[in-house]
Amino acid sequence: MTPLLEIKNLNVAFNTERGQIRPVRDVSMSIFPGQTLAVVGESGCGKSVTALSILRLIPQPPGKILGGQILFEGRDLVALREEEMQRVRGKEIAMIFQEPMTSLNPVYTIGDQIVEAVKLHQGVTSREAYQIAEQSLNDVGISDPHRRIHEYPHQMSGGMRQRVMIAMALSCRPKLLIADEPTTALDVTIQAQILELLRKLQRETGMAIMLITHDLGVVAENADAVAVMYASRVVETATVETLFDQPQHPYTEGLFRSVPKLNENAARLTTIPGSVPNPAKFPSGCKFHPRCARTRKLAASAPADQTTELKSGGEIIRVLTRCVNEEPELREIQPRQWAACHQIASYNSAKVTPPVVDHKREVTTEHSTEAMQLEAAKGQTA
Amino acid sequence: MRDERTVPRSWLARAMLDTVGKTSARLGLIWISVIAFCAVFAPFLANSYPILVKMNGHWSSPMAQHFTPTDVTLLVVTFAAIVLFVFLQRFRLFARLSAFAAIVVLTITLSLLFVHPPLTNVFEQYRDLAKSGDVQWALDAPIPYSPGDHLRDQFDPDRPHPWSPNSAHRMGTDQFGADISSHMIHACRVAMAVGFISTGIAMFIGIFIGGLMGYFVGLVDLLGMRLVEIFGAIPTLYLLLAFVSVFERNIYVIMAIIGATSWVGNARFVRAEFLKLRGQDFVQAAIASGLKLRSVMFRHVLPNALAPLLVSASFGIASAILAESVLSFLGLGLPVGEASWGALLNQAVGAGGAFQWWLGTYPGIAIFLTVFAYNLIGEALRDALDPKLRGAG
Amino acid sequence: MSAFEPVTKSPPATETIIDVRDLRTYFPIRKGIFSHTVGYVKAVDGVTFSVDRGKTLGLVGESGCGKTTVGRTILRLIPATSGEVLYRGKSFFGYHGEELRKLRRHMQIIFQDPMSSLNPRMTIGNIIGEPMQVHGIAKGRERDERVAQLLQRVGLDPSYALRYPHEFSGGQRQRIGIARALSLSPDFIVCDEPVSALDVSIQSQILNLLQDLQQEFQISYLFIAHNLAVVEHFSDEVAVMYLGRIVEKAASRELYSNPKHPYTMALLSAVPEPDPRPKHKRIVLQGEVPSPSNPPSGCPFHPRCPLTREAAKQASDTDTVVLAPKGSMATNGHPLPVLGNEKPDRVLRKCVEQMPPLEQKQGEPGHIAACWVTK
Repeated sequence: MTPLLEIKNLNVAFNTERGQIRPVRDVSMSIFPGQTLAVVGESGCGKSVTALSILRLIPQPPGKILGGQILFEGRDLVALREEEMQRVRGKEIAMIFQEPMTSLNPVYTIGDQIVEAVKLHQGVTSREAYQIAEQSLNDVGISDPHRRIHEYPHQMSGGMRQRVMIAMALSCRPKLLIADEPTTALDVTIQAQILELLRKLQRETGMAIMLITHDLGVVAENADAVAVMYASRVVETATVETLFDQPQHPYTEGLFRSVPKLNENAARLTTIPGSVPNPAKFPSGCKFHPRCARTRKLAASAPADQTTELKSGGEIIRVLTRCVNEEPELREIQPRQWAACHQIASYNSAKVTPPVVDHKREVTTEHSTEAMQLEAAKGQTA
Repeated sequence: MRDERTVPRSWLARAMLDTVGKTSARLGLIWISVIAFCAVFAPFLANSYPILVKMNGHWSSPMAQHFTPTDVTLLVVTFAAIVLFVFLQRFRLFARLSAFAAIVVLTITLSLLFVHPPLTNVFEQYRDLAKSGDVQWALDAPIPYSPGDHLRDQFDPDRPHPWSPNSAHRMGTDQFGADISSHMIHACRVAMAVGFISTGIAMFIGIFIGGLMGYFVGLVDLLGMRLVEIFGAIPTLYLLLAFVSVFERNIYVIMAIIGATSWVGNARFVRAEFLKLRGQDFVQAAIASGLKLRSVMFRHVLPNALAPLLVSASFGIASAILAESVLSFLGLGLPVGEASWGALLNQAVGAGGAFQWWLGTYPGIAIFLTVFAYNLIGEALRDALDPKLRGAG
Repeated sequence: MSAFEPVTKSPPATETIIDVRDLRTYFPIRKGIFSHTVGYVKAVDGVTFSVDRGKTLGLVGESGCGKTTVGRTILRLIPATSGEVLYRGKSFFGYHGEELRKLRRHMQIIFQDPMSSLNPRMTIGNIIGEPMQVHGIAKGRERDERVAQLLQRVGLDPSYALRYPHEFSGGQRQRIGIARALSLSPDFIVCDEPVSALDVSIQSQILNLLQDLQQEFQISYLFIAHNLAVVEHFSDEVAVMYLGRIVEKAASRELYSNPKHPYTMALLSAVPEPDPRPKHKRIVLQGEVPSPSNPPSGCPFHPRCPLTREAAKQASDTDTVVLAPKGSMATNGHPLPVLGNEKPDRVLRKCVEQMPPLEQKQGEPGHIAACWVTK
């Protein structure tokens, strides 16, 4: 199967007053039709810039795509002219954003905003466009769409607005939906509704979803494949099961351990020391080495000439010299798992191959109101 | 910040540095510095009295003998400012500011008491002495004419004033024979003073009333807003015209009127900032740690509300300068004989309606550049203080 | 460590630090030119709980449930409408002016947004040192030494005292906020979503720090958050809020393993588990949190509650009512179509008409919940 979207060695730079920063460095990833790829990372890791680059929505200047390819059904989006790109945006690739409060225009009704997009891309009459808009509102679970299509964004709650955003994004039946932190601004119960809606729509339409998030729970529940980003690069990518069962990169590992889990009896959380690096001042070599537990542990038993002492967050630590001097590449550690760390046993023998994770998860998460009602019926009710 | 070990800078200092770092703001600052330099050192730059002479074997400074209290005050205060803020940076800012204020007050008082220039000015005195050979050596100002020096070449029936630019008067003369370049240099004082004093008054009233409204809320706020609305409805220029036509012309009265009518925007702004900042977490934290309401307002709210006012101050200076120029142009500004760019513009249309270009162009350019410079600085400040633009990188 | 009051007195087994009794905070809704009050938003509507020395009470709920208002009302940053807060047995609400200012040092707050919680115009040293100076705890050089000790204690370099907040990352600012709260050696700290604005890898650092400080100085926390996993990890006891009321309160293990309120069950179930092969089926609640200015009658949760719908199936018709779908008028008990499915939305009459009391449920003693359906 060929990927729907394949990003190859994408590099993006921003020119700022204090010099050039590189929010995306050598990023490669791929998404297959009907697949959900989760891009995980913390603030400033480059996940949003990668997404915006796909739609060529990064502000230029100061932003600039330095190199690489973004192949969408074989076409290189980086090389497209702006007019051609406008036909791709919204029609073939759609995007929803984190903040449902600001991504709708307050002076137009939600119907006007969906209809505008539909008319632009589908060349239908206003009447037909309204029918399509009503249908798509119905699809995202908004009751009484005939009436609500004439409402203004401020009349709706955050969760409803996010549904409208999804309706708008999906009204043209895109092949790829980029969802940038779609539930971060929402409450947990609403988040569960929106994620379930996205899964349902994906089952029905077969679209691919690129889900950008920092929440590992959301990843575990929704993703087929995962790309973990740190300091502008992909440091690990794999199927969701492999990644959660056998994380290879120390950052992925640390991230999993530092999140508190329900019903887990840990007195203390394991932490990743230090802070998320600022793209303006990345460390040398492996960008994770000042925070890395693995290199510290290995350095403790390594010969002195292979280690280096450095100051990190106020304390003196000893790490392996190789980690300080040489930035690791993303290599295929085992089938369908790529990672970038010198200290993985098979790293030296592994090859650099383009990360292509063609995988659909085995277990789908099912949400239902019945589940609880059944559970509740088991002797809890009066 | 490239270097980890840079000196920690306050938010305001950083905004100032950012402002100065912009090319446009730099150009504006350079122009304002030129104007300020001319204002302070006007007697050294354009003066009918030589800076130094040797006469009958004695050295003397006729310029210094004719210093007015204003000349002395400007020189002393400028010198004090340079010493305090450039060379004595190791002392605390507050101490230096207090010392500066003390020096200003002291100098004004002393110079008013003890500096008495001769009541009659005989501008030809040293030119005549030089012609008669009594002066052995003299150091003249680069432009050897005072702005009020009109009488000298009056009696040339072939060439009536005003003269267009020539080798002796690079910018020409006005209808009384005064040198325009000298006039331009001395007019820098009015331009600086009008801008700073009237804006200073407007800021003071605005912060005071806006602060009261934001602090007490409730009834004070309600009354304050009505006051703001009333003052916002007063047409400044009309009030100025009415005032100068009824009372004596006086530059300070003009400044006071401009200041007293343009504080409205500042007051609204400070009030809004106070109300907004009251709900901020750091203010809540200050209250929770048991600070008195007064110190919460003065130490936590006020400093945060003030910085954005700098932007409106620099635009306010520009509009005050324009207002004074308009008044002087209408012939209602300063008393006759005081140097002002607007007054020169007024003379550009001579007898019979002929346009005397040198009387219009030079002051016109000066007014334009000065207003433009303040606007450039204001823009740059606004960019530097805007939190949305900050930290985008 | 000399920076703090020595905790020499071995704390008695259970000393109640904060006792909140029937706290209510209403915000008036004003309308018209004379801005007369037309109603109230009952942000906090009768909340009762207490926190013992060195213990943590977690307060969870979704946005708009009033959890933040509870924290701020206790600290008197927002005036209470009625109710009482006892600090070590004395009524905190009875103090005014100077006495109130002096008492404030015992109760501090840590904020969610590390960007807006520090005054951008003050150095870190002044931010942390000012409260100590105001309360006469330390002045001049002694103050600076204490600031340095506090910075070190929260994991920052003492030289940072001369810097300004904008030079620090979110996690570091949160540490500074913690140092400020600690500077007055308080007995009680309200932690208002202290980690939700931070990066995932930084959250655990801050949680561990707060935990260490609690053990070291026997501080009591009111830990307000929306992330159930974080609250469960951090708290001894958890209270769940819905529309201004506590709907369930229990020891955190007990709450997780044996939830008695359907809202708690839904909340627990909605937290996405970091495990690609989840063991439980998830529950998705229908609808959204109603507006607190116009809460539903009876049990405020009944419009979304799956339990009452389940119970209604087995109850007689006289004990149940049919809910009208949102936005349409109820027509004398005739069933109306509901959100796509054609089932009548039938619930227990009791849930619509009467507010359930917060009462002891089966399980550990102290496990209370407000629900007509569960035992």
